Amino acid sequence: MKDKVFCVTSGKGGVGKSTITGNIATALAMQGYKVVAIDADIGLRNLDLVLGLENRIVYDIVHVIEGTCPPEKALVKDKKTKNLFLLPAAQTKDKSAVKPENMIAIVESLREKFDFMFIDSPAGIEDGFKTAVAAADGVLVVTNPEMASIRDADRVTGLCEAMGKPEPKLIVNRLDPVKVKRGDMLDVDDVMQILGLELIGIVPEDKSMVAYINRGQPAVLEKDSLAGKALRNIADRLLGKDVPFMKLDSENGFLSKFKKLFGGS
Amino acid sequence: MGFWPFSRKPSKDVAKQRLQVILKYDRAGLPPNSVEALKNAILNALKDFPFVDVSGVKINFPQNEREEKIELEIPVKADK
Ligand SMILES: Nc1ncnc2c1ncn2[C@@H]1O[C@H](COP(=O)(O)OP(=O)(O)OP(=O)(O)O)[C@@H](O)[C@H]1O
Ligand SMILES: [Mg+2]
Repeated sequence: MKDKVFCVTSGKGGVGKSTITGNIATALAMQGYKVVAIDADIGLRNLDLVLGLENRIVYDIVHVIEGTCPPEKALVKDKKTKNLFLLPAAQTKDKSAVKPENMIAIVESLREKFDFMFIDSPAGIEDGFKTAVAAADGVLVVTNPEMASIRDADRVTGLCEAMGKPEPKLIVNRLDPVKVKRGDMLDVDDVMQILGLELIGIVPEDKSMVAYINRGQPAVLEKDSLAGKALRNIADRLLGKDVPFMKLDSENGFLSKFKKLFGGS
Repeated sequence: MGFWPFSRKPSKDVAKQRLQVILKYDRAGLPPNSVEALKNAILNALKDFPFVDVSGVKINFPQNEREEKIELEIPVKADK
């Protein structure tokens, strides 16, 4: 059986889990796969914002657990992207409202009907994280090239191993080639060496990311976004495609685009 | 770099070095520096034994929290 249920987690907060979950889910749905994105950040839901679906939520995951409605009925269908569905987190409950066995039951009841499911984990290593990981076939650990985030990623990796999950795959988010070149940011090779994990994605720092979220329009829908391309590449790698990693040198950024614009190399 | 182009090593190299040490201790579930301190204490004690090849003493870092021992290798000098 191919892995189809992935948990996106990180330990440290704010490293880009929800952004990455929403984008990979969108990228796969764009290719015609039937995809559910599950927001497991109970009480602090955000995945709806990344996908621009906040106004369409009627039921949430806690309604499903309480038996108010079946899982299918709680799914919010994305109008922009066919085949994409969101199972929202409850905003007014706390993490204890969803237990690992609840998450497993929901995922198993949807598994046959979908090609992929992505579970957006809350930050931290407590129960909320454990619930998010419980139902996953595979784990994607997101880190920023920065000390605290890398340390937390290692911690989460150890906990996943203790939970019997396969070794997580690594996504390095917010890599800034200019800072790397200056010697003030760890490069992807350094991060890989430190964590000893297989790499599945490198997403560059993208100043437009906040605008994409403002519009509820995931970066993968933007043809010209470098981060969008990097995120589409992750989706392709999950499909088993052998996509080379983008070269992200400082030449690749704003300046070279500027030069191109004016006929330079 | 930047301000001190020749005298300072890039901050990312410092970060990498520090992280490699931190993660070893995190993974083993041991307090920071504890294995280093243990090694130094043992090396000190071994100086009293002329047949021990102090330069070859190895202390084995536990790989994870479930590993419940620290292994010590004490080579004996060939010409004892
Ligand atoms: N590649 C990127 N470039 C620039 N900004 C980014 C990038 N990825 C994420 N961000 C920004 O970082 C912020 C945090 O992202 P996000 O909410 O996805 O993190 P998170 O890990 O889900 O946070 P939390 O732990 O609170 O759930 C957002 O403002 C987002 O726009
Ligand atoms: Mg989030």
